[in-house]
Amino acid sequence: MDRATLSELQRLMERLADGDRAAFHPVFAVLWPLLRRFAARHLRPEEAEETAQETLVKIFLRAGEFDASRSALAWALGIAAFEIRTVRRRRLRRREESPREGELEGIPGAGPTPEEEAMARDMERMLQEALGALRPEDAETLRLYARGRRPAVAAATFRKRIERAMARLRGIWRTTDGRP
Amino acid sequence: MGDLETRLMRRARRAYEVGRFSAAARRSVLLLPVIGLALISRTNLAGTLVGGAGLLALVTFCLWRGQDYRRGVRPGLVAGFVPLILPILAQAGGQPCTSGRCLLLPAVCGLGGLVGGIALGLMAPRPRDGQAIPFVTACLIAGFAGSVGCLLYGLVGLGVMILGLLLGASPVLAVRRA
Repeated sequence: MDRATLSELQRLMERLADGDRAAFHPVFAVLWPLLRRFAARHLRPEEAEETAQETLVKIFLRAGEFDASRSALAWALGIAAFEIRTVRRRRLRRREESPREGELEGIPGAGPTPEEEAMARDMERMLQEALGALRPEDAETLRLYARGRRPAVAAATFRKRIERAMARLRGIWRTTDGRP
Repeated sequence: MGDLETRLMRRARRAYEVGRFSAAARRSVLLLPVIGLALISRTNLAGTLVGGAGLLALVTFCLWRGQDYRRGVRPGLVAGFVPLILPILAQAGGQPCTSGRCLLLPAVCGLGGLVGGIALGLMAPRPRDGQAIPFVTACLIAGFAGSVGCLLYGLVGLGVMILGLLLGASPVLAVRRA
């Protein structure tokens, strides 16, 4: 978005916040394509359109309370980012990560989409946080297990340690994921 | 513009108006405790209710409408606060009077109106270049706010309050215009 459009959006949002209804259409014309592009970068196509619509409606719902000292663009994108995060969190909870049957068929070189990569990074970060919350001995046990190594203890003892560490990791993960 | 965008625009416009109205109503509701105080006095309940409802409706409308209408709200409320609260305090101070039979309490309305009028003259946006809406809004709100207190003494209280507002505001406005 160029500087002129940015200034224009700022000015229009201030007018809209003041109650100038004539600013409604120009604000809509600037924000709608912007929000569609923003949502499409972070969500699947079927989710992006609806999320962009909901974001736009929420922006106008709160437009009367827009604080002129803030950046209009940052404010609008902040609301959009919140909506996108909500959709992604909802999807994570439903575990909608595997592609639908036939979704990847016929698509040459189909690999993870940018959105899936972002999700995988989120999951890895959450896993790192959960591992970081474990006791050091549990974290070490799981690291050795993941690398296919075993410390100098009996196999049964190591299995027990893995079971306990996994149970504690599951407990931490559920808390991080928002479930009791 | 396609169907989808037309429908979306309608939704967005509706959301905008609903949002503005909700915000206006949330702020107007702050007047309820003061109106409630006047109602507790149990003198001229009907008049106080009408004045209070009128004040709430007018303030909500002006805040929702925005622009010049909104600019008259704060000066109007500040100016109307004195004639609103003085009669209530006088009543609470144990001076049982009914309208037409007691000069003290209508005089309180007159004094409140005078002080409110001075405040109105100082704070209300001056009517200029045909843009009188903020000033008119401020006057109406001050009048309605004062009426919530002064209608405790009936139309006499209301009349004296309005006279006080005029007498207080006129010289101040004349000085500002000069």
